[in-house]
Amino acid sequence: MQSNLKTTTTIVMAVAIGLLLVSSKVSAHHGANLYDMTKAVVLKGTIAKFYWGNPHNEVAVDVTDEKGNVTHWVAYTEPPLVMLESGWTRKSLNFGDQVTAYVFAAKNGSTVGTLSKIVLPDGKELVAYGAPRGAAPPAAAPPAR
Amino acid sequence: MRNLLMVSAAALMAVTSFSPTVRAQAAASSQGAAGSQSGSTKIPDLSGDWGPDRARGGMGQSLSISDIGGRKRGNEDDIPYQPWAREKTLSEKTSTGPDPKFDETTDPQVIFCEPPGVPHIYLWPIKTKFIQTPEAVYILHELGPFFRVVWLNSKHPADVDPQWWGHSIGHYENGDTLVVDTIGFNDKTWLDQMGHPHTEQMHLIERYKRVNEKQLELDMIIDDPGAYTKPWPSHRNFELRTTGFLRYQQICSIRENQQFFNNTAKPAVGGPAAK
Repeated sequence: MQSNLKTTTTIVMAVAIGLLLVSSKVSAHHGANLYDMTKAVVLKGTIAKFYWGNPHNEVAVDVTDEKGNVTHWVAYTEPPLVMLESGWTRKSLNFGDQVTAYVFAAKNGSTVGTLSKIVLPDGKELVAYGAPRGAAPPAAAPPAR
Repeated sequence: MRNLLMVSAAALMAVTSFSPTVRAQAAASSQGAAGSQSGSTKIPDLSGDWGPDRARGGMGQSLSISDIGGRKRGNEDDIPYQPWAREKTLSEKTSTGPDPKFDETTDPQVIFCEPPGVPHIYLWPIKTKFIQTPEAVYILHELGPFFRVVWLNSKHPADVDPQWWGHSIGHYENGDTLVVDTIGFNDKTWLDQMGHPHTEQMHLIERYKRVNEKQLELDMIIDDPGAYTKPWPSHRNFELRTTGFLRYQQICSIRENQQFFNNTAKPAVGGPAAK
């Protein structure tokens, strides 16, 4: 049995590697059919809450229109373990921060979605969806091991 | 006296836990595929933190080599389903992938926070680390955090209790590959995010090979005569990460899952939102 398995492994190895190389982009998000991933809604508002935790971080943004009406948005990112690799920390966003959030919003009109990125007042961008990972953590990051 | 007791206890633990001789005596005669040493005795260096290789397949959703994104779920040409296994796969409601049903998913890892098992754990955006000792290789995962023990040059017990991670034995081969042979799985986990089932008869062979300093590859053979008509292969690519291991504990909490669902997913389900 083992020799057969080993032979099979050898035969398929090249094919496997080849197919993986050309595989299409894969959605790992829960809301591939709930959110419009083709375009992001741009929200200029205030951070109302930043939940840093499992299973996903959540960013709440209050958007106030010209009449003073406040709309509450909630967008999620991948979990801390993943976002740490993109340079995010639990202190990346703070209550009251003025931000511009780019959100892939719910198709049904609800003010929820998946966060694409956030731009801070100083122009710094925090990329969420599709963020590059694997770069060195920021200097202020806690010890890695 | 106290010191003597502590030393004695430590010595006993070391002997009973790590001695291949004792383990071999306790084990029965069933010799697994990875139970014997073969090839070079050179031990490959698997050190480092290994995450899904984003340039070579990424995390993926399915173990199907031809359909890593899960778009042909139930109809992949490289998964030799038995009829019931195909029907079971198609009946499942996934929480991710091209057509997720997060609000009504049947994924046991999501709804019960059960261990994903192996190979399902390799379809998560988490890193893996190998701790190599003379007696065993400890495979640590950031999710859970879970760990597996691969007993080197050992044997499977004759009557293995079906469990979440099975019973693993292994050996090094050709000086560059860690071969892991696992039996004794329960049938509660999905093989991947797409709901592919397995039975307690599953026999999994994993071959980990560090192809260069920054890349690790895993070839697998899933042999489950209870669910599939013949053994079938799968493959994962990993890349070396340098951002640190387990900087945040990826723990599954039903309470936190429910909070996340209520805050971000539930409002998006169904028709137009109330204005």
